[in-house]
Amino acid sequence: MQRYLLLIDRISTWVGKTFAWAILVLTLVVTYDVVMRKLGSPTVWAFDVAWMLYGALFLMAGAYTLSRNGHVRGDVLYGFFPPRLQAGLDLVLYFLFFIPGILALAYAGIGYAETSWGLKETSYNSPDIIIYPVKALIPIAGALVFLQGIDEIVRCVMCLLTGAWPARAHDVEEVDIEELKEMIGVKESGAAK
Amino acid sequence: MSKGIWIGIVSLALVIVLVFGVFLSAGEITSGHYGLLMLALIVAAIMLGFPTAFTLMGLGMIFGFIAYQMSNPGEPWRDNQIFALIVQRTFGVVNNDVLISVPLFIFMGYIIERANLIDKLFRSIQLAMKNTPAALAVATIITCAIFATATGIVGATVTLMGLLALPAMLRAGYDVKLSAGSITAGGCLGILIPPSVMLILYGATAGVSVPKLYAGAFFPGLLLTVLYIIYVMARAIINPSLAPKLSSEDLKVPWSEILVMLGKSFLPLALLIAFVLGSIIAAWATATEAAAIGAAGGIILALAYRQLTWERFKEAVFLTARASAMVCWLLIGSGVFSAAFALLGGQGLIENWVKSMDITPTQFMLLSQTIIFLLGWPLEWTEIIVIFMPIFLPLITHFQIDPLFFGIMVALNLQTAFLSPPVAMAAFYLKGVAPPHVTLNQIFAGMMPFMVIQVFAMFLLYMWPDIALWLPARQYK
Repeated sequence: MQRYLLLIDRISTWVGKTFAWAILVLTLVVTYDVVMRKLGSPTVWAFDVAWMLYGALFLMAGAYTLSRNGHVRGDVLYGFFPPRLQAGLDLVLYFLFFIPGILALAYAGIGYAETSWGLKETSYNSPDIIIYPVKALIPIAGALVFLQGIDEIVRCVMCLLTGAWPARAHDVEEVDIEELKEMIGVKESGAAK
Repeated sequence: MSKGIWIGIVSLALVIVLVFGVFLSAGEITSGHYGLLMLALIVAAIMLGFPTAFTLMGLGMIFGFIAYQMSNPGEPWRDNQIFALIVQRTFGVVNNDVLISVPLFIFMGYIIERANLIDKLFRSIQLAMKNTPAALAVATIITCAIFATATGIVGATVTLMGLLALPAMLRAGYDVKLSAGSITAGGCLGILIPPSVMLILYGATAGVSVPKLYAGAFFPGLLLTVLYIIYVMARAIINPSLAPKLSSEDLKVPWSEILVMLGKSFLPLALLIAFVLGSIIAAWATATEAAAIGAAGGIILALAYRQLTWERFKEAVFLTARASAMVCWLLIGSGVFSAAFALLGGQGLIENWVKSMDITPTQFMLLSQTIIFLLGWPLEWTEIIVIFMPIFLPLITHFQIDPLFFGIMVALNLQTAFLSPPVAMAAFYLKGVAPPHVTLNQIFAGMMPFMVIQVFAMFLLYMWPDIALWLPARQYK
């Protein structure tokens, strides 16, 4: 069981981290476009490439974010619940909210992408640029998030059984106190060098 | 579990029972009533702690599905309109030329955060302020304002300043509450002062131009910063024991040396922010373009300070992906939710109800800001903007309130939510790194005066809207 969990986690992470690099390409594309425009020779492709990179970035990072518990949640009460109550609530809501919503997205996305793919749809702004691959990412992202959701459901069950949340893969955190301390060179707590 | 939690759970259950009771007692149930039921349930559902994006998506899908099926009986479920709406709303978030700037600003923020500028920044500003009263607290607020503006990350700013400025202030004999208040209030300024992601989300949901919002938020942000500084200086002048003078060693540092330090730490970052912000406000570049240049500039800056290791760079990239996905999936969820809400006709019902109340625009303004303030307690600002702004906006138009002005008021209002106990995240970030003898209650107490200042700033803005509207009116001449 644990092996399959880790496999799903790994797929989500790999896909998310790969598409994360779109931000670097996006930065470079937009910067290049600005420079070229100020030099008097604007590009025709940058606008469309930019929104597609942005779309691919966040769509494909959805499952990765879920695998790190990174989607914002109202934790005013939740944060203070004991793990078993958290897991029980989550479990019910995965079936009540998550599965209908995300399955509908994946299902509707397939038809949407099929239509676009059949038309070999191109951008409204510049007819040379194809946009159907990005539309195809919608059902794929939906399926990945759904898969990660199954992983999360199993986690809830494990937590209900053992009373403690199974550990998540280690990853960089926004506020990692130890790392921030090391970065600014604070030796012991509360005393700057 | 503590008593407080049980009170929370019980009141949550009561709200749900009450909502259903009112719902079932309504004589004639139209689909609009389902819309209102959905809206009433959403706050309770979010409080259950499930990831909000999927709560919204699920509720929207279920209610939309049932509503369509009920009004079109006999149609096969595959043709249910909610499916088309879900995927259209998703693509609407993808193909959105305002939201592209969100990941770029987030990326710029993480790069600058990881460039490790803050200690040099704090040190140089502190020396530059050496002759002012409450020098360290003033330097803290200014450092927070600049750093939070460049990064937009409240958590990291408060944590870093909690590690740097708090021990420095405590060692110098500063009052604990005054120190904690300066850090938490200053750290939250990045949400308001542009370039802030909050204003982009507001612009995208309200259809207000982001450059206008940035121009509009500039002076209110500056006003708030100046009011904070005046407050700490006044406290120090009235009671010098709260904020003793800097050590004689620090006072002896010659100005030539201080200027060099400022030139190395303060100037490059200030120039980068000024360039990004200036080019947006002057309409020289779009928000997206300025954000990309800001991110590229941030990388160059971090390289110049020799702080950008491959490891830190990768971390910034991955954190950006997660934060962007969080924001954008939330927008998908709220898109599905509001589509279902519109499909059910809930919006029309609310509009008719508010219009029938016969209130003046001023009363509406007060009422809506109070609701937003109260929502700020259980909800995050992202949730408030993406779920409730679409509902408020048609009403704003009805009362002939400028959506630009309303947006700045909301941004200022949500600032206070960051400092309102007991949920203020800033306090918990600070507590996480503060010495053990600094209690959470001391931190909360320290934040209160700053909250009062924020409410005062809202009052000033309401009385003199030109504080916000003067600059946008001078754009695009």
